[in-house]
Amino acid sequence: MHREQPDLTAVKPYADHRGDGLVQLSFTLPVPYSLAARRAALELLARMGFEAPEVVHYEELTEGYTYFVMYGRCVQAIDFTTLQGEGFDIEYMSEDEIERFVTEHLGRRIVVVGASTGSDTHSVGIDAMLNLKGYHGHHGLEGYRCFETYNLGSQVPNSVLLARAIEVGADAILVSQTVTQQNLHVQNLTELVEMVEAEGKRGQMILACGGPRVSNELAKELGYDAGFSKGTEPQHLATFLARELAARVAATG
Amino acid sequence: MLIDLTSSARRLALVGLAKNTGKTETLATLLRELQAAGRTVGVTSVGRDGEERDVIDARIAKPRVSLVAGSLVASTDELLRASGVPHELLEQTDVRTPLGRVLVARLRGPGTIEVAGPSAASQVRAVSETMLGHGAEQVLIDGAIDRRAASSPEVSDGLVMATGAVLSEDISELVWRTRDAVELARLPALEIDTPAARGALALARAHGEQRGAALIGEDGEALELAPRFVLSADAAEIAHALDAHPRAQLLLIDGALPERFMQELLTLLRRLRRPLTVVVGDATRVFLSAHGISWYAGQGLELRALRPTSLLALTVNPLAPQSHRFDSAELRALLEDAIEGVAILDVCSADYREAQRALSS
Repeated sequence: MHREQPDLTAVKPYADHRGDGLVQLSFTLPVPYSLAARRAALELLARMGFEAPEVVHYEELTEGYTYFVMYGRCVQAIDFTTLQGEGFDIEYMSEDEIERFVTEHLGRRIVVVGASTGSDTHSVGIDAMLNLKGYHGHHGLEGYRCFETYNLGSQVPNSVLLARAIEVGADAILVSQTVTQQNLHVQNLTELVEMVEAEGKRGQMILACGGPRVSNELAKELGYDAGFSKGTEPQHLATFLARELAARVAATG
Repeated sequence: MLIDLTSSARRLALVGLAKNTGKTETLATLLRELQAAGRTVGVTSVGRDGEERDVIDARIAKPRVSLVAGSLVASTDELLRASGVPHELLEQTDVRTPLGRVLVARLRGPGTIEVAGPSAASQVRAVSETMLGHGAEQVLIDGAIDRRAASSPEVSDGLVMATGAVLSEDISELVWRTRDAVELARLPALEIDTPAARGALALARAHGEQRGAALIGEDGEALELAPRFVLSADAAEIAHALDAHPRAQLLLIDGALPERFMQELLTLLRRLRRPLTVVVGDATRVFLSAHGISWYAGQGLELRALRPTSLLALTVNPLAPQSHRFDSAELRALLEDAIEGVAILDVCSADYREAQRALSS
């Protein structure tokens, strides 16, 4: 079947035909179910910049609240060609491929130390990445032959995490932290980076952070080599660590 | 003017005490002054600069970074391409960041650019040297969040510190937090006038990149401590080390000095009624938040640096985005009362802008 190639310099959503810009939205307004509520929803979409806003469905959620499903045409387009290849947009390897890759390129195990640092009591993220049980049907790094993992658990002070990482000769430190708009959480993440610098180990350790709001952009600001967010599976992290360490070893000879 | 205060530093680091303290605004102001004076500038960032929206709170719009033709910049291939500003590639580094590989380029035309250079201190030093080598008269190294590593004398020749209302809703807390940070940045140099001090210096040189720690006596006699001692030792282990060298005057720490260690050490020294001076490589190796260095000094625990840093100015952002605001003049007056010997500026205030206009006309 012949498929028309999309114009990647002006990418926009589509539903019926390419370029129609059709978007479906759903939201709740804190106003009683009424025609006025419907008008408010239509005007809201117009103000958001959508053309031809349409109410597909609306109903009373509870007294004083109305729930909407809407359509609107998005007039904005994105030049996808400027975004392609950005950062670690890598093809992930399967577990077997990772094992083979590490044997071939490194010939030894990759040592990873992980923890939830500071006052963060959530260790779910780090457990999902490191422990055998893993996440989403994929077991964690502990289950790989090519990784040697140390999971220090939660509420670990940065100095203790770093001491352990140096002691076991870690290739990578993985920290998980719930980032909020409060400064405290990010400052705990930057402190680890600064301590690694102070110990003269920054060139020898890959630093990765993970958490529900951690993007590559935030990782860059924090001084980490990569950031992993929701939806990350252990083999994504494993692929990154294997490739990055191999690149570093190749660069230093 | 910032340009006059900072002209002595060929490699100038901009360091914030937190996010949204106005580092990028300070950078943009200094760039305008340098460009008006016709100086060729190189710019890099340990984080990311010139992005439109804050990475954590998208409600906060960020200042853009405008550069004139001829400026040098270290940023990633993608960001340079996305800027649409014509540029000449000077060097392709092997620095990989989460946002792509870092290039050093010279702009062929003016424009606004997102700047994201290397994060690691040694790589920041390398790209700064590259830009100086390609004709930059001064290199500006912008910080990120509260990261300080680029202000190490091993990387830069001086720093400008940025503080702001975001540190606290309580103006007096903002003032003392800023004073503590300034004191640390101006950590006094160890005077090399005793056998112990000469011993500390020689030992630090001998350690080199192998960071270590040692207790040093009056006569320069040293007791090396176990690897990672300062990062992980508990009270009993510290007490044991102090007992092993009862006449130690100095404690040399090449690597990181966390506050946990300072507190344990202080408790023991009080009990033993012993004075001790801790010597670190430079201020970026010290991690304090509960107390400043003058508080520790008041308790008998002095701190010294082998390599002092040079604090050239303090900029103030009286506005905490999405939160509160202080009166700029009042805040600066309070800071001036608490902190001596450094120029304190609000680059967005009417009086600063006026002085800038007067100078350029």
